[in-house]
Amino acid sequence: MISLKVIGSFIKKEFRQIMRSREMLIVLFALPAVQLLVMGFAVTNEVKNLNLSFLDYDRSATSRALIQSFDSTDRFRIVPVSNAAKPEELISAWKASVVIVIPPGFGADYGQGRQSNLQVIVDGIDGNTASVANSFVAGVVGDFHRKRMQETMHRSPIPRLNTQVELLSSMTFNPDLRSSLNTIPGIIAILVTVTSMMLSAISLVKEKELGTLEQLLVTPVKKAELMAGKLIPYLIITLVQLQVAIVLAGLIFRIELAGSYGLLLLFSMIYLFTTLGLGILISTRVASQQQAMFFSWFIMVIIILLSGFFVPVQNMPRGIRWISFFNPLSHYMTVLREIVIKGSGITQLMKELWILGGSGVLIFGLSVLSFRKRV
Amino acid sequence: MNAAVARELSVFYGSTEALKSVNLEVPEALVYGIIGPDGAGKTTLMRSLCTLLPYSEGSIRVLGYDALSESAQIRARIGYMPQRFSLYQDLSVEQNLRFFARLFRVSRKEMLIQREKLYEFSRLKPFAKRLAGNLSGGMKQKLALSCALIHTPKLIILDEPTFGVDPVSRVEFWQILHELKREGVSIIVSTPYMDEAVQCDQISLLHKGSVIGQGTPDEIIKAWQGSLYSLKAGNLQELYKYLQSKVDKADLQLFGSEIHLYSKDGLRQELIDTWKHEFSGLASCEEIQPGMEDVFLKMMQ
Repeated sequence: MISLKVIGSFIKKEFRQIMRSREMLIVLFALPAVQLLVMGFAVTNEVKNLNLSFLDYDRSATSRALIQSFDSTDRFRIVPVSNAAKPEELISAWKASVVIVIPPGFGADYGQGRQSNLQVIVDGIDGNTASVANSFVAGVVGDFHRKRMQETMHRSPIPRLNTQVELLSSMTFNPDLRSSLNTIPGIIAILVTVTSMMLSAISLVKEKELGTLEQLLVTPVKKAELMAGKLIPYLIITLVQLQVAIVLAGLIFRIELAGSYGLLLLFSMIYLFTTLGLGILISTRVASQQQAMFFSWFIMVIIILLSGFFVPVQNMPRGIRWISFFNPLSHYMTVLREIVIKGSGITQLMKELWILGGSGVLIFGLSVLSFRKRV
Repeated sequence: MNAAVARELSVFYGSTEALKSVNLEVPEALVYGIIGPDGAGKTTLMRSLCTLLPYSEGSIRVLGYDALSESAQIRARIGYMPQRFSLYQDLSVEQNLRFFARLFRVSRKEMLIQREKLYEFSRLKPFAKRLAGNLSGGMKQKLALSCALIHTPKLIILDEPTFGVDPVSRVEFWQILHELKREGVSIIVSTPYMDEAVQCDQISLLHKGSVIGQGTPDEIIKAWQGSLYSLKAGNLQELYKYLQSKVDKADLQLFGSEIHLYSKDGLRQELIDTWKHEFSGLASCEEIQPGMEDVFLKMMQ
C-alpha cells in the first residue's frame, strides 16, 4: 500500500535539501530570469537600426526629400559619407549595410514623370536581413512616391486616373511584428524543459553517488513512493519557475496571456511527464552526476535545435522534419505560442494534446520500468 | 531459530565469482562476525543478506523469510548500515532520524520513544540540530547505527562499521553493539580488523569468496596446530632477510616490532643458539600463544 505520509516526508526532504543550498536556489530562480531577459532581448529577427548611406550625385530638392523620408523611421540609421566613396567599400568596411545611389538628374526626371532610377546595394551576408532591408527600402520609396502623387493631384485641376493596385496587408495576432511575442514563449518552453530534465536527471544518481540510495533501498519504501517523492517536488519547482517566467514576460515584454491559464498549466503538466521521465531514465542508466549532465545536455541540445525555436521546422529537410514531429518540445512550444499569442482553446490543440499525452505515457512508463530496487 | 541462514551461496559479477558456495548460520541474539581482508567478498555477502543483491546460486533465509521472494518482509525487519556513510549530509541528525522512521512506517509516538533511547546510548542528543555532514567520523557511524535501529529491527547488518573511525570511538561502538545484543538484537558485522574479530561471539573467516574457517574465536584459535615464536632484533629488516635464508618464507610474518615464525614441530634450542651466534643482532626468540591474526594468516595459505 502506498503511503502518502512517506511521499510527504520525501517531498519535505527534497525541499529542505534544495532550500539549504543557495547555489541551487540561484540556479532555479535567478538564472531563468536572467536567461529570459537576455534571450528575450537578444534573440530577435527584427531588422532595426540598419546603417544606410546615400551617394547623392543629384543634389536636388527631390533627392533631399527622399533622404529625409528615410530619416523618419527607426529601421534605418543614416550614416553620412562623402560622395567619392565606393558602395562596395562602404559595405566591406562595415560602415553601411545598405547604400542607395541617387544618380545625377534624378530629381529632374522624376519631376517630369520620366523613368527615374535608384540603385540599392545591400550587404547580402545575412540573407534574411538583406531581403528584409530590401523590402524596407522599397516600402519607403513607395510611400515617398505616393505622397508626391497626392500632392501633384491636389495642385492639378484635372484629376489624373490612378490605376495602381494597392496591397493592404494586416498582420493578425502580432500587428507590430514584435519578435519577442514569438520568442518569449519559446524561451519559456526551453526553461521548463531544462529545469525539469536537469533536476530529475541528477536526482537518483546523486543519491547513488552519495551512497544514500543504498540506504533507501533497504527500507520498505515502495518504488512508486520513491519516484513520486522525487518527482512531485521537481514538478512543483518547475511550475513555480514557469509562473515566475510568465509574470516577468508580462512585466518586461508586455506579453499578456491571450488564452486560458488553466489550459497552459494542464499542457505544462502533461509535458513535464515527458521531460521528468527522460531525466529519470537518464538517472537510472548512468553512474555519476557528471555523466547525467552530459547525457541530458546532449539530448537537450538536439531537442532544442529541432524544436523550431531557432530555425522554423518548415525550413528543415524532410527527414529532419520527421524527427521534429517526434520532438515533444516542438509541440509544447507550439502550444505555448498558440495559447499565449492567439488564445487558442483546447479544441484547436487536440493534436498536440494527443502527441504530448502519448509521449508522456511512453517515456514516463519506460522510466518506471528501468528503475529497479536493487544496487 | 536462526537469524540468517545461507546455503551454498554463490554470487557472480560477470564471470568473476565473488562468493563461492558460502554456508552460514547466524544464531539469534549474538554478534556474528564476517572477517576477511579487503576484496574477500564481505560487502557482497552483506548486500546479499539484506536483499540488495540478487544471487546466482544457493539460498538465503533471513528471519525466516526467503531473500529473493520475500524481500519486502525482510527489509521491513532488518537494519542495514552500508560501508560508506550513506545518510543525508545536508539534513540534521534529527531530520535524518525522522526521515528514516517515516520510511520504516514508524508512528510518531513510537519514533519519539525510540529516538530518546537511541540518543541515550549514542549520546547524540546535544548534536540533534547539527547537520550530519558536520559530525565527526565516530558520531557519523553512531548516527548511521541509530538510523538503522529506528524501527527496532530484530537483526542489524553492519558492513565495516568501524572503518576509518578513531580507536576510542571504535571501542565505544563495540560497547554499544554488546548492549544491543543483551537486548536481544541479532547482529551481523563485517570487519577486516582481527582485534574486532575476538569481540564477536561467532565468526566466519572469508578469503577470496570462500569461508576458510567458522566457529567461536576461541575455537578457531585452539584449532591452531604447531608452535609460534616471536623474534626481536634491533634491525628487524636485517633479521627478516637473515631468516629468509634459514626457513620457509611462508612461515615468516612481520608483526610491528617483532617477527612471528611458525614452526610445525617446534624449534630446537640448539637451532635458536646457532641463529643467535650467526646473527648477533637477534635479541630474543620466545614461544608465544598465537593470536587471531596469526591464525588467519596461516589459514589464508
